[in-house]
Amino acid sequence: MNFPVARLTARMLLGQRRTLLVVLLALLPVGIALLFRLAAPADADPERFTARTLLGGMLTGTILPLVSLVFATGAFGQDIEDGTAVYLLATPVPRRDIVVARVAVAWLAAAALLVPAALTAGAIAIQGGDPGIVAGFAAAIAAGSLVYTIVFTWLSIATSRALVAGLLYAFLWEGALSGLFSGIRFLSIRQYTAGIAGTFFDLPASVYQPRLDPLPALVLAAAVGAVFLLLAVRRLERWETGEAA
Amino acid sequence: MPPADPRAGAIYDLGYRAYDGPRLGRRAAVLSLYVFTLRAAFGIGRRPAAKVVPVLVTAFAFIPALIQLGVAALIGSRVEVVAPWNYLGFSEVPVALFCAGAAPEVFGRDLRYRTLALYFSRPLRRQDYALAKSAAFITALAVPTLGPLLLLVIGNGLASEDVPGYLAGHWRELPQSLAAGLLIAAVAGLGSLAIAVHAPRRAHATAAIAAWFLLTLPVAAIIVEVGGGAGRYAAWFSPFDLLYGAALAIFGREPGADSIQGAAGLPIATYLLLALLHAAAALALILRRFQRVQA
Amino acid sequence: MSDSPAPAIELRAVSRWYGNVVAVNDVSFEVGPGITGLLGPNGAGKSTILHMMAGLLRPSAGEVRILGQPAWRNPAIYRSVGLVPEREAVYGFLSGREFVELAARLHRLPDPARAAARAIDLVEMGSAASRPCGGYSKGMKQRIKIAAALVHDPQVLVLDEPFNGADPRQRLHLMDLFRSMAAEGRTILYSSHILEEVERIADTVLVIVAGRLAASGDYRSIRALMTDRPHTFIVRSSNDRALAARLLDEPAIHGLAFEDGRLEVRARELLAAARALPAAARAAGVTLYEVRPTDESLESVFSYLVRR
Repeated sequence: MNFPVARLTARMLLGQRRTLLVVLLALLPVGIALLFRLAAPADADPERFTARTLLGGMLTGTILPLVSLVFATGAFGQDIEDGTAVYLLATPVPRRDIVVARVAVAWLAAAALLVPAALTAGAIAIQGGDPGIVAGFAAAIAAGSLVYTIVFTWLSIATSRALVAGLLYAFLWEGALSGLFSGIRFLSIRQYTAGIAGTFFDLPASVYQPRLDPLPALVLAAAVGAVFLLLAVRRLERWETGEAA
Repeated sequence: MPPADPRAGAIYDLGYRAYDGPRLGRRAAVLSLYVFTLRAAFGIGRRPAAKVVPVLVTAFAFIPALIQLGVAALIGSRVEVVAPWNYLGFSEVPVALFCAGAAPEVFGRDLRYRTLALYFSRPLRRQDYALAKSAAFITALAVPTLGPLLLLVIGNGLASEDVPGYLAGHWRELPQSLAAGLLIAAVAGLGSLAIAVHAPRRAHATAAIAAWFLLTLPVAAIIVEVGGGAGRYAAWFSPFDLLYGAALAIFGREPGADSIQGAAGLPIATYLLLALLHAAAALALILRRFQRVQA
Repeated sequence: MSDSPAPAIELRAVSRWYGNVVAVNDVSFEVGPGITGLLGPNGAGKSTILHMMAGLLRPSAGEVRILGQPAWRNPAIYRSVGLVPEREAVYGFLSGREFVELAARLHRLPDPARAAARAIDLVEMGSAASRPCGGYSKGMKQRIKIAAALVHDPQVLVLDEPFNGADPRQRLHLMDLFRSMAAEGRTILYSSHILEEVERIADTVLVIVAGRLAASGDYRSIRALMTDRPHTFIVRSSNDRALAARLLDEPAIHGLAFEDGRLEVRARELLAAARALPAAARAAGVTLYEVRPTDESLESVFSYLVRR
């Protein structure tokens, strides 16, 4: 961990206007939970709504990848696009330390937004249901945002269009295609997140059923995170300044 | 040759002459801008990496239609799961990603590198520039929004045993598909461009467009589900729900009970009306931006 | 370090291509202490060479060594190398001082604040150092980038177009700075497409044309090697026509002309002409007032090499 790099990254993220939008994004589930609490029809099942729609659907399915993507590309993609990455790379700091510092800051930023959002929104919506649902998703989001951040950091180093590539992955691969091909669950950070959350509660399959068991989800998440962290370091060690011939 | 006194100024006649022949004028400028933007949307004439996203996403938009036609041809089943009127429900993610990837490129370079002055010093007017580029992007977007509908209609017709009979019963689907596909392209395209021209960076525009399409979908669904009487109007504010409803109106269909339009229970014609309003508002935003932007 | 035999910068048969475009074609040279100018027209491959020296581009063939160490995939070289990239971008949200201190921290200097203050003084940016870099002018950004590259007192300084955007006074100041660093035995290599910047301070010139090394060395010695192009002198004397008449007998003299009333003498060989001129003057009983070479400026050398 290199603290000057981490501090610089934190200031980059805080100084960007998009961070404000991301904060609004994280507040969205809280607003929805309030709406549910105030206006839900009497026959609504709070556990089902919280696990399936609010935390398992909107938060882990859409907001988690979006927030991780914005922070990961904000940390590295911006630096490379502007040409300022050279000021970090032309120093004796090992490239591994640069990647680790950036991943750590982007992950902390994402988790610092999403975990409280999950806890608050869940606490509002659950209304006396199993609190394990809320705790489980909060923990799973903390883990999932780390894996997402690592993969999207690798994307930012490897391609100049990391944002679009990340959207393709999150919405086409994990979203639209995983409905058609169930094997995608083994290669989907969203399913790892859902699987990890499933450790903390026991709901009937008709209400909420993760597509991966906790153990494979955790192992796969750890493996994907480790592999892509190594790939990101390797890619940065071989990084070449983008220059038109 | 230098003058005898080097301090004396002189202008040398190097033989350049002004062009005083006929000029192509405004219409040709608009047309070439249109063609250029249309090609650029698919990365034609750009480096190979620029082609990957638009081509991949367009291919994904066609997959449901191909599956439907393939299953019908192989099994001979007449079960219509994927139809022109519900097609947006299958292609919304590729369409959103096409917009998120390509829309920021349409005006982005000219705004960022301040090359607009080069256009506006031609016979081209400001609104010509904005309209030509917008029209080109809508045309490009029509490939994934309209293309699969036409493929389905024509494919279904060719696959049926009784082609004249099929045509007699289904000929309306052709103009309806045209109208629905173009409407989707216009509303989604103009909306994306309106976001893109107001975003300072390409990355911001991409993220904002993706959020506008894909984040509003689950949010609107939840609000309609739990929001009760006032919440049902949320179905109007998610662009894809709006367009799905508009397509239903064009094809004269009633929404299914499990769809958000069915749950919201709003008159189906309102979706069509609001979609047209949406496109007009987005176009006005784009034109206003280019009236004001410093060239 | 000074008694190590390895040259500060060494390129061995280095090529670099992008797809099927060759940017740098089989270039070999060594750069020692002092100021070296890398000269070439835009697009000649200067930046590609500098980026390979800075370890930011992989040579497609050959090897780049800095102080005996390979430059590619070896962040350790940055302890002794400072790089000033051409691109203007800096971290706009940092103040100049924070930007230079960041560089000091990344180099793990024991007292980053003092090292930064020293580097900022070197480029005379003290008065603007607490303002954010985002608001700097082109020349100020250039100088703060140089300060960041100097903060760890590198043995080798590599600069890509360092005088871009600097006004004439700052330019002179930077030139003085480079001269004093060179006098301390450091190696300074910078690229430029502007001849007078190179001519004025570079001890050695490397001329890159279309990705190839067209010439290297002191520019006067490069000029001396170009034997197929006559040297031209302007001569002023007490009696130009008498001198001219006498010079016609000298085999070393290739041509004579009166341009704007001045005597122009052309010769194939520099040394022979230098001997012939005073001999002819003495024989003709003429006093020489001035013998001035007309085309020894780097520009003429350069345009000669580029055209060939």
